[in-house]
Formats: sequence, C-alpha cells, structure tokens
Amino acid sequence: MTRTDKARTIRVATDVGGTFTDMVCFETDTATGQSRITTAKSDTTPPDFEQGVRDVLKKGGVEPGTIDFMAHGTTVVINALTERKGVKVGLVTTEGFRDTLEIARGNRPDFFNLHYEKPKPFVPRHLRREVPGRMTYLGEESQALDLAPLDGIVADFKAEGVEAIAVSLLHAYANPAHELAVIERLRALWPEVSVVGAHQISREWREYERGNTAVLSAYVQPVAERYLGRLERGLKEDGFAGQLYVMQSNCGVDSLEATARIPITMVESGPASGFWGAAELGKMIGEPNVLALDIGGTTAKCSLIENGEVTIMTDYWIERDRSSAGYPIMVPVVDLVEIGNGGGSIAWVDDFGKLHVGPQSAGAMPGPAAYGKGGTQATTTDANLWLGRINRDYFCGGAIEADMEAAGSALQGVADSLGLDRDAAAQGIVRIANNNMVNALKLVSLNRGHDPRDFVLVAFGGGGAMHAVALGQELGVKKVVIPAGAAVFSAWGMMMSDLRRDYFLTALVDLGEGAAAAVEDRFAQVEDGARAQFAQENVPEDKLHLRRFGKLRYQNQEHTVEVPLEGPVTEGALARIAEDFHAAYEKEYTYRLDAPVEMVGLHVIASAEVGKLKPVEAEPVDTPASAALKGRRVVDYATEGQHEADIYDGEALRPGMAFDGPAVVEDPGTTIVIHPGNSAHMDRWGNLHVLIAAEDRAAEGAA
Amino acid sequence: MTLDPITSEIIQNSLQAAADEMFVAMKKTAMSSIIYEVLDMGTGITDAAGEIASSGAGIPAFVGVLDKAVKAIIARNPVEQMREGDVYVTNDPFHGGVTHLNDIIVAMPVFAEGRLIAWTANIAHNSDVGGMAPGSLTGEATEIFQEGLRLPAIQLIEAGRPIRPVFDILKVNSRMPDVLEGDVWAAISSVRVGAKRLQQMAGKYGADAFEQALVQYMDHGEAVSRRALKDLPKGSFALSEEQDDGRVFTVKIKITEDSFTVDLRDNPDQSSGPVNSCRDGVMVASQMIFKSLTDPQGLANAGSFRPITLLTRPGSTFDAQAPAAMGFYYEIELRAYDLIWRCLAPHMPDRLGAGHFASVCGTFIGGIHPDTGRQYTIIEPQVGGWGAARGSDGNSAIFSSFHGETYNCPAEINEARNGVTIDRMELNTAPGGEGRETGGRGVVIDYRTRASEGGYLTVGYTRSKFPAWGLDGGRDGSPNFVRFLPQDGEAQDFAFVSGLPTKPGDVIRVFTGNGGGMGDPKDRPHDKIAADIRDGLLTRDRAREVYGYEGEA
Repeated sequence: MTRTDKARTIRVATDVGGTFTDMVCFETDTATGQSRITTAKSDTTPPDFEQGVRDVLKKGGVEPGTIDFMAHGTTVVINALTERKGVKVGLVTTEGFRDTLEIARGNRPDFFNLHYEKPKPFVPRHLRREVPGRMTYLGEESQALDLAPLDGIVADFKAEGVEAIAVSLLHAYANPAHELAVIERLRALWPEVSVVGAHQISREWREYERGNTAVLSAYVQPVAERYLGRLERGLKEDGFAGQLYVMQSNCGVDSLEATARIPITMVESGPASGFWGAAELGKMIGEPNVLALDIGGTTAKCSLIENGEVTIMTDYWIERDRSSAGYPIMVPVVDLVEIGNGGGSIAWVDDFGKLHVGPQSAGAMPGPAAYGKGGTQATTTDANLWLGRINRDYFCGGAIEADMEAAGSALQGVADSLGLDRDAAAQGIVRIANNNMVNALKLVSLNRGHDPRDFVLVAFGGGGAMHAVALGQELGVKKVVIPAGAAVFSAWGMMMSDLRRDYFLTALVDLGEGAAAAVEDRFAQVEDGARAQFAQENVPEDKLHLRRFGKLRYQNQEHTVEVPLEGPVTEGALARIAEDFHAAYEKEYTYRLDAPVEMVGLHVIASAEVGKLKPVEAEPVDTPASAALKGRRVVDYATEGQHEADIYDGEALRPGMAFDGPAVVEDPGTTIVIHPGNSAHMDRWGNLHVLIAAEDRAAEGAA
Repeated sequence: MTLDPITSEIIQNSLQAAADEMFVAMKKTAMSSIIYEVLDMGTGITDAAGEIASSGAGIPAFVGVLDKAVKAIIARNPVEQMREGDVYVTNDPFHGGVTHLNDIIVAMPVFAEGRLIAWTANIAHNSDVGGMAPGSLTGEATEIFQEGLRLPAIQLIEAGRPIRPVFDILKVNSRMPDVLEGDVWAAISSVRVGAKRLQQMAGKYGADAFEQALVQYMDHGEAVSRRALKDLPKGSFALSEEQDDGRVFTVKIKITEDSFTVDLRDNPDQSSGPVNSCRDGVMVASQMIFKSLTDPQGLANAGSFRPITLLTRPGSTFDAQAPAAMGFYYEIELRAYDLIWRCLAPHMPDRLGAGHFASVCGTFIGGIHPDTGRQYTIIEPQVGGWGAARGSDGNSAIFSSFHGETYNCPAEINEARNGVTIDRMELNTAPGGEGRETGGRGVVIDYRTRASEGGYLTVGYTRSKFPAWGLDGGRDGSPNFVRFLPQDGEAQDFAFVSGLPTKPGDVIRVFTGNGGGMGDPKDRPHDKIAADIRDGLLTRDRAREVYGYEGEA
C-alpha cells in the first residue's frame, strides 16, 4: 500500500532505547528494487521521547515528508515498568478477591533464602476495591452485579489522586458482561480517567495473571498515550504523511491508536523484530526451521522458528528470575530465552576458584577494558580481542583503538585467580560464555523435543556472528547463517513485519463426538471480531490472513500443546485433530497416552501485509573470494587452538563468493569467526552461509 | 588425567541445565494439579553411587530425597544386571522413599562407555495410590498398609520395555488410575530426557571427565558449606517445645568449626497415627535449615551437606520404624525444621527471624464434579504468613519453608476443574504478629462445595494451638485452622479431620496464620502503623492497644 508514483520508496525504522534512539532508513529504488541503507543514532530524550525520534531523523538526513512507511519500536513501556515511572492505579475487582494481586501465586523461587522479598503489588490494598457479582467458569451469571459501590470507589480514587483504573473480575475471560458494565459506569462517573478491563487484553483464565496484566497496562497507559500522541503530532508537524506503525511483542506491528489503548502489548517488542526477521530470512533462503540468536552487549536472546512460524505465548513475566517471582503480563509475546551473556559481560572468579561470565555487564560506560575508558574487569569482548578473534586494528569497525594493555591486565586478573596464563584465561572465558549460550539455545530447541540437525542457526546483533559458528558446532545444526547487515537486522525485521494480532481464548471443550460445532462456533466468533477490528483500520478483507490453532491436552493435564488446524472444524475433522495432537505431544514428551483429549482454548493469528520490504536477489559473481581477502593473522579458536586465518573484508564479499575456514570476515558492524573445517559462501541476498563439517570438532576440547 | 577447570565447570553447568530440563518436562505433562500447578515435585541427578550432584527441585524439602531413593534401589537391585533403558520406582519410606506413599520416585541408571555413570531421578506427589481413604491420606491410618500401595524400590521398565504387570498393579490399586498412569509416564519421560542429556555430555567429554566433574562439583559444595560454617556462632543450643497434640519435642544442636550436629534422640516414641517421620525425613529438615544458614543461594548437592551429623532414636517419632503410618510425615518434618530454627534464632538474629505459619496446611477436598460426573480431588498446600526479620516485615501469603517454587491454584481453574466455588481468597486480618517489624499475613479462603455426591474433606494442620512464635518482644502470629460452615448445622473449627462428609453448599473456610513479629511493637515507625490502618490490616483499637498509637491513618 506504499505510494508507487515515485522513483523511490522510503521506509524507516525508529527504535527508542534506554540510552539511544536509533534509526535505519531503507531507500528503495522502485525500478530495480535495490535499497540503500542509512543509519543514525541520537540520544534518547526522556520524558519527551518523541523529540529523540525527530532528532534522529534529522541527524540521518531523512525528510519526514518523504517517508512512506515508518515502524516504531520503543522500550518506553518496559522502562516505565521497571523504573516504576507509571501512574497511580486503582483496581476494581470481584468481592472477596481484592487481595489476589498481593497473594499472587505464593511461590518462593529462592527457596533456601529465608530473607526472600515477595514482589510488592503495583496497587496498595486501600486502592484495591470490590464489587459484588459473580460469573461461573462457563460464563453464566450466578450472582447479579451490583454497581452501587462504584460511586464511593470513584470518590475515593479521585481523593487519592488515582490516574488510571484497572477492572478485573472473576471469569471475565468467559463472559465479560460484568466487566463491561463496570467500565461503562466508571466512564459515566469519571469520563476523564483512563480505564482498562482485563478482558480487553486477555481472554484467558488465571485471575492473578490477568488482573496483574490489566493493572500494569493501566499503570503505563497514560504515559504511553501521551508519548505516542506527541510522536504522531510531532511527526505531522515535520511533514510526515505516511503510515506509522508500532512494533509489538508478538512480532507484528499494530496501529498507533490500538497501541495507545492497550500499550502493554509493546512490553517485549525489543527482541521481537529480530526474531521476525530471522523467520522471514529463513523463508527467503528456503530454510524455514531457524534457531535465532541475538547477542547484544548485556544479554543474549534466542528463539525457535519452526516452519517459518515464530512461537507466540502468553506466559510472560517481568523481573522474574531465580531470586524473584516477578510479575506476569498475559499478552502475546514471542517465546524467547534470555540470558545475561553479551559482549560486555564481565568475567569473574568466585571465592572457590570457579570462573563465571556475566550476568554483570560493563555496559556502555566504562565498557570492556579494551575501550580504554577505565574498565578494569575482563569482558567477553576483551577475551575475543586477546585471542585475535576480533581484529585489534579494526576494533568496532575502526572507530575505537583497542587498548590491548588494559585488556591484557584485566585478563591477567582472571588468570591469576585461576592459576592459568592469560591465553588460557581468555579461552576459558570464551568457552564459558559459549556454554551459557548453548544451554540457552538448548532450552528453546532440544528441551522442546526439536532436533537441532533440522535447523539453521541465524545469528545477529553486535556479537552474534562472533560466537555463532562455535555454538552451531556444539549444537550440531545444519549450518549457520549470518544475515547481510547483521548489525541492523532488527530494523530489517521491522520492515518485514505484518499488521498482526494474536487472539487467545480459554474455552474448555472435550474433543469427543459432537464437539465440532461448539469449537467451530468459538473460532468463528474470534475471527469475526478480528475481521471487524481490521476493517475499522481499512484493511480490505482479501488482505486479511487468518490462521487457527487449538490448544490441546490430555484430560486432567494443565499445560497444552498448540496444534495448527486447517479448515473448518467438522465432526469428520476431529479425529485428524486428535491425531495431530498425539503426534505433536509425543514429539515433545517422548510418549503418548490412550486418554481423552480436550481443547482448552484457541489461538487465532490475524495478519495483513502493510508495505513490506521486498528483498532483491543479485546474480552471483565469478570472482574468487580472494578479491575480498585483506590479510592473515593468528586466531585462537579456544577449543580448537591457534590457526592462521584468512581475513576477509565483509564489504567486498559478493554473492557467489566461497571460501574455507579458518577465516574471519570483518565489516564495520560485525565480525564473523569461521572455524577450521568450515566452508562459507555468500548467497544471492548477501547472507553468509557457514557449513559445519560433519565430524564433531568440539570433542577435541576435552581431550 | 586431571580435568581442566573450565571443562569441569561446563559439565557442572550442563548438569544443572539437565536437572532443570527434567523439571520442565515433568511439569508440562503431569495430570495432577498438585504436580503441574503446586509443583509438588523435584528432579535430580546423582552419581553412580546415589550421591546427589544437582537438583531441579521445586521444593526445598525434595532436594535431599532422591539420593536416598537411588541408594535404596542400588541396595535392593544388583547393579551388574542393570541395563540401558531400565527404570526403577519406589515410594515406600522404609525403602528409600523418605516421605509418604503418595510420593512416587522414578529413577533411571545412566550408562556411558559400558558402565553406570549416574542416575536421573524424579519425585512427585500422586493424587491417589490406593489405601483406606480417597487421596490415600487420612488421619485415621495406624499402619502404612492403610495408606496405599507400597513399591519397595522395584523395576518398572526393562531395557526400555514397560513391565506390564507392574503398571497393572499400579493402576488397579488407584482410585484415579488414568491420572496415576499419566503422572508416572510424565515422570518416566522426565528421567529419560535427563539420561539422554547426560549421555550426550559423557559422549562428548568422556565418561572419566564426566565422573571427575561430578566429584569436583560435590567437593565444591562441601568447600562452600565448610567455609560458611566457620562464620556461624559456635556452641551447644537446646530447646523443648510443646506441640498442638500435647507431645513435647526436643532438639539439641552443637555447632563447631567443622560440624553441625542435630540431636533428636530425646523425643517421644513413634505415634500410632500417621504423624511420624522416618530418619531420612528429619535429615532433610536438618539439611534445609543448614543450607539456609550457610549458602542459601548457591548450589545444593551431597557435598553441601557433608558437615551435618544427625542423631535419632529408632522407634521415635523422628525415626519411625515399619509399619508406622506416615501420611502426614511432612508436618512432622516441618516441626523438626521449625524446632531447629527456633532453637537457633535467638543466637543468630541477623540470619533467622521470627517463626512463620510453618505448616503445609494440606487441604484435601474431593467428590463428584456436578458438571462432568467425574471424580475430582483437590490436594492443596496453603500459603500463609512469614515471620518478621530484623529490618523487614514478614512476607504475606507465601508457601511454608517446606515448599518453594510452588504455585497456589487460581480460583478460576479450581472452579472449572473441581466441584467448588471459591467465595473469597483474601488476606487474614486477624490480630497477631505485631512488633517493630510485623509478621506477614496468612489468608482466608472459602471453598463452597458443589460435589453432587461423595463430597469429603481431610485436613491436617499444625501450629493451630501454638501459632507462629514472635521474637525479641514481637507478638506471636495467629493460628492455622479450618472453620467448617455446613448449610445445616453448627460451625465447627478444627485442624485435623479425616473424610468429613460434605454436602453441596457447605463452606470450608481455611485460615492460615500470620507470622510472628519481631521487636517491641512500641518501636514500630508511625508511618507504617498508619499505612496498615489505611489498608485495613489493623484496627484503630488494636493500634492503640498494641502499638500505643493514637494518630490518624
């Protein structure tokens, strides 16, 4: 739907992070389809975040009036939550359940710690208020709703300075009528206040999770609405007349209006675009099964893509780890595992002589010791430099002169504590960091019954390419693919995103004879709702793509397996659906049961293309890769020892070029480490494919 | 050949990852809500001799169970005849089961390079293993034979092939055969996943390296414990405490530079009811408190517990002998744990705060679901109030020290799955637990029963007569108990009841206690008192009476 009456189409991705606001602009020649990519970075400008976006466009030389399509990503929501910078929220809930938010689930993850601190609810008890009225789990009214208390509640909320109200009633996932009635009355009593009902965000059961989701959405809603409103107005003032979409946690984009209403859906949008990009890339190169790995400065994140589909779940928590129960947010979020291991992760030796890497990070300041900005602790980046894996004369694309003395003395500290030399310490750091990441990759693959041999590893982010081949070897993946422009891959992913919404509904049905009509009916209801919502945004019906998934389990179980459903649910289809479930279950858990199957809920994905970037293929060249060779140096591959490696200039490599490891490819944003025995070639889109030799080289390390 | 420290570290990290992976596999496939929701389960990896190397336990009380089970399996079954793909099972506290018959432990020997290198094991609470009462737990039991089917460390799968007769015996003995079978298979899948992962590790690094890494891991656990032990106050400590049932329990503890000795010999003879623990059970209690005192956030393995010496008297309630009934062992294990805590707290005020509600508050509600016609069984531990500690008020509504990564059952799921309506689930605002720092709040939960037939209630709570204890001038907490409100008839309060018949409309109101307070209430900051009044947790009268507070909310 981009305008085609011009020679160029301009698509822009902007991303507001905690420290920097980034921009990537894809300027596509309408005739050839070739894109020119420009990037820019400026400071994030709290609390007027929109200013940073306007600044970065100016800095990148992008005239807002020329932009056809803009996708906007932001960490404003997650930051408002973790920094506790939202508004005062009042909660209205079912009589007898005002303390659900505080009781939470009662778990103590840090269970030997007698000084455990349970997370504090976002709404204090005196602002958690009740109304009588009950629905059953079947969605039938068992006690009439009494709205009378709301007058007093609103008066108290006003007196207390409440700015947003969350409404969460028992079983509203099954029937939201009471919740709607409460919202209507609240709006009548207090039109200015921001109100959100839990059912508007989630139609799944579990009252604590759903209620907390509504509370956190209310907590950030005024902040997000203000910011998105100003962003839209600011861009318009600057002449922007294209389409503006906001990146969501489910890997799709959504309209600004919808996002401003329910901003909590943006909560984990940061990593989503990269994983979406990996899925799109996989489809493009004919490898729809992808293990995607994004290594940044502080963390590494990974996600599994099967048959070109990202996995979307609603089991997302913030601030949850081994020492805290955290807070649930029941919105569709791409299924990912994140660990505290990035380029800036600090290596340290504990009191008992054990080496650890992360989760503490040297961050941007002072950064790794080699930045020469006063960092004295060795990081993964310092180890990579020391081993020659990163070029000391081309550090950060030549932007920073590597302070090898500082890196060396930081590594010496680790070496002394371990009783090793600096080389061995650096090797140890790389091996431990790789092991941490391999364990994370196993969590999303092996642990869920997938065989890594069926997958390609797609690695991106600042540090992805450095470690990817070693990880791929350890996991035994088919091959490793480093995308063209790995450093701006997330922005590319945003440009490939669809307008997408994931609908989850809890609806318990025994999948026995006669169940089809009820199931079909529920799917149809959800799909009608999706069509209406997309129609409101002028998406033509024929552009809308709907897909169905059933969440199935054996009777009496709790956790479900999601199974794709093709076509209408008829009595005739039930047996096939059940068989698909048995097969999917057995794959994940190694056995199947001869037990009744039930459907707990459904998942509908509704998506429509909105101005996607079209990747262009280039003809392979006949020129040998040696044309891009810029030198040789000794590289320490940790487990495989030192080798003389060919160093290639990434910017000079062309589609069709092929070469063997040991080698290193360097371009300003990425260093790709290719191990002995690997072979590499660049495909038609400029992605580098690294094939891993059949033998298991990693085993050499233990010998 | 010595193993390089980095490879050793990598194997150890991978062991932890494997135990966690086993945990997830079990949680996702289990059929009983007590497993998948309450996470009344644990996973672990032991060395070839059965010493625990790493644990993916959800419950601290299950960390120290699996090693004892594996050792019992090894003792009863000739190791030289074990083959790849074999799986063993035990649930009997007198055969390495430690706990009660509901907890089935499944263990799998792991082979590499033709020899046994490790075991993967799994424990979980099963909803019904037969016996005289639904759910297999009853206060009426006087012998273990009445508490269900006993599996004395026997083989379940031979070289990958299920031994059908054993499965048939299991199923025919349960009131919920399909659920039992599903849960046992979930356990099998969990130990298989772990075994596969260990074999991959051994294949990659070699069996020798794998075994060395395990040895080093346990030695490391021991070194951490021994260093922390040096910081504990030394000396001999003793405490006697009267229990709700009138028995008096006594502990003597001696801490030296290199040992932590718990002496529970001077205690009553084993009970004729199901309120006993085997020796392994109170060993677990000692291990739990020792771990909390020494290295609460680090790894826990066999090495961590080496400095502990436990003295018990066979035939006593803390070292019960067959055929003692064991159903409510967990309350007895918890009493031993709380006794040790209380004994040491005055001497370690920075490490140990006031007492918590300190009961599992196991609540068993069953019957026929009026909507589905199927049997349902609620087996729930309850959340309650924790004690105040120096500088911080106690947590409200979390599980007892027996449980850990345990989740309560959402009302919405409880109502759909079970024949009950949850009328309320709120904080307990009863007086108790006041202090400079206050105890956390317990909860009040109303289960209104809908069971069309066969409705029953069983509970066994402790700290009902003697609530959570205050410390250093802080007030005691409030009691754990159940108030039964039948539609017809008088309300009655109790802490123990077995198989009480219920009718539709009867309300089972669970009260769990507030934790103990710490320090003189008069020293509590006024802004905190005002906040408690505003939040409806404290009445003005009580504020005046206990805190001497006359201000506004």
